[in-house]
Amino acid sequence: MATRGGEQKTTRRLWRRHLRSVDPLPEDQPMNTSTIGTIFEPLFSIDIDIEVYASNWAYCDRLSSYAARMVSHNRIDSLLYSNLFSSALNELLETVFRAHGAGGSFVCSVSRMANTDRIELTIPCKAEQAQFYFDAVRRLSRPDVTEQYHSALFAEGALDPDIGLFELAVDYDASIRLEALDENTVHLTVDLVLEEAQA
Amino acid sequence: MADIVLHKFDAHFDENNQEICITGSMRPQRAEDLEMLARLFEKSLRSIKGTLYVNLKRLVRLNNIAFRVLAGLIVKACGERPDLRVSIITSSVVGWSTRKFATLRAINKNILVEEYDNEFYPGQAFVENNEIISLLRTQTKMTWRHERNILGRHGIREGMAVADICCGIGDFAVLLQKEFKPSRLVALDHSKASLAYARNVANDFGIQGIEYIYGDASEMLLEENQFDFVTCRHALQIFDRPELILRELFRICKPGGRVYVTNEKNSHCLGEPRGESIQWTYNEVAKILAHFNQDIEIGPKSRRLLLDAGFDEVRMESFMVTNLDGDPQDFADIIESWKKLFVGNMTALRNDDPAFVERFRRGFDDHIFAALHPKGYAGWPIWVASARKPL
Repeated sequence: MATRGGEQKTTRRLWRRHLRSVDPLPEDQPMNTSTIGTIFEPLFSIDIDIEVYASNWAYCDRLSSYAARMVSHNRIDSLLYSNLFSSALNELLETVFRAHGAGGSFVCSVSRMANTDRIELTIPCKAEQAQFYFDAVRRLSRPDVTEQYHSALFAEGALDPDIGLFELAVDYDASIRLEALDENTVHLTVDLVLEEAQA
Repeated sequence: MADIVLHKFDAHFDENNQEICITGSMRPQRAEDLEMLARLFEKSLRSIKGTLYVNLKRLVRLNNIAFRVLAGLIVKACGERPDLRVSIITSSVVGWSTRKFATLRAINKNILVEEYDNEFYPGQAFVENNEIISLLRTQTKMTWRHERNILGRHGIREGMAVADICCGIGDFAVLLQKEFKPSRLVALDHSKASLAYARNVANDFGIQGIEYIYGDASEMLLEENQFDFVTCRHALQIFDRPELILRELFRICKPGGRVYVTNEKNSHCLGEPRGESIQWTYNEVAKILAHFNQDIEIGPKSRRLLLDAGFDEVRMESFMVTNLDGDPQDFADIIESWKKLFVGNMTALRNDDPAFVERFRRGFDDHIFAALHPKGYAGWPIWVASARKPL
């Protein structure tokens, strides 16, 4: 147990050292309450070197857990929301862990409009990885997406690297869009509604 | 916000219950990281006949890699053992698990997915009725007159991290928020109807900062050692296994923090005039609740229960809510609601004969008579106990 604890501490230090920025909404710039519910207000953004991110699998869990804590405190049921948000974001982060280019910034941002949370991932990609994302998002729009997801989930062999995107589209009813920012970067936008608006 | 319980998982087999219980967070990078799970299934299946229970109520996080490993083991077990049924027990509190594991039903008909919810609370149906909300509000109003002074003697201070477990309609949590200004206040209950009401009240009154959480008090997903002061009022008495709740209250309380419980001994409700009729009815209340596995006599047992749960430094006292606390009509309203609850619902469910029901009803009417009588006295005793989680 002592070894594991030591590893965790080391990992935590590395994580902090390599984070380029973690930007919760600054306290001196309070959310503009007049716009709540009409535009996406930023909640936080994390910017990290992709190679540092991809050096440790535990970062997926750590980042999704951290983000879930940050965005869930004022939801109808903070614990339930946190569980769902963390599960959804973790699948996205594991996807990025498996499919990314070498070098560049990985940016994960979350913003909110009413009861929709928007996760935006800016992912360094070479042509091959960009193609993977475009193919995956294209498959999500097919009418048999649910069958495809279940089929992939129980298929023999290695797990499809796009399984997380399928889960979000099917189980979380997420709206997923992808665009190429330049030839080395794609931008994935995922809109999630994890709870009904409070009556 | 409320935190998550574990960052690693634990899996073990309980032979007595034929149950594999997995808790925590399972997000491995590779399927091979879960080889111990395969060994656990293999070993467990050797001794199982009939139904294998896979308890996932507190499996908070699971990635697709782990899901596929776990699902594969369950499907394989059913494939190799056609005599076997696998019952996967999920929890709606976790959010994603029922939906995810329900897909296995299509693969093998011997796989069942059951969402654990109300079974733990035999009395839940009685307390979810919206009619009872006004009763609960009046009860809190009357007990608060006493408890706002009592709470300080049991260790609550401003700025503490506080949890109100089994918060019901959340009115006590609102009072705590106003009076003691906790740094954090989590209010947990297993009734969605009560929580919805609580959130609406907090919204209407502009109360912010209370985290109302849906959850099972016997298997909370809150992290351990989080709270300085944990309250659980009038709740141990309506569960058939209060020790399970106390175990959880102990777990979430910080070392050195205190857990505060209030409970009744309903047979000690009293009144004059017509004391004999009143006493007979409340003795029967205790019996009728015992019939539904609820110990409404638990108040004076609180000290033993707390010590048995591992607490020390028990402080205990009692107070009497009476018709002389404010408006006697408030007291009468409480008794009227009890009458509806016990006479209207419970005697019918127990199939009591009309003569019994009539005498039973009369005791409540006499209690109301005593409460409203210009020279009368009516009382409802409550036991308060708190104890420290050892350092």
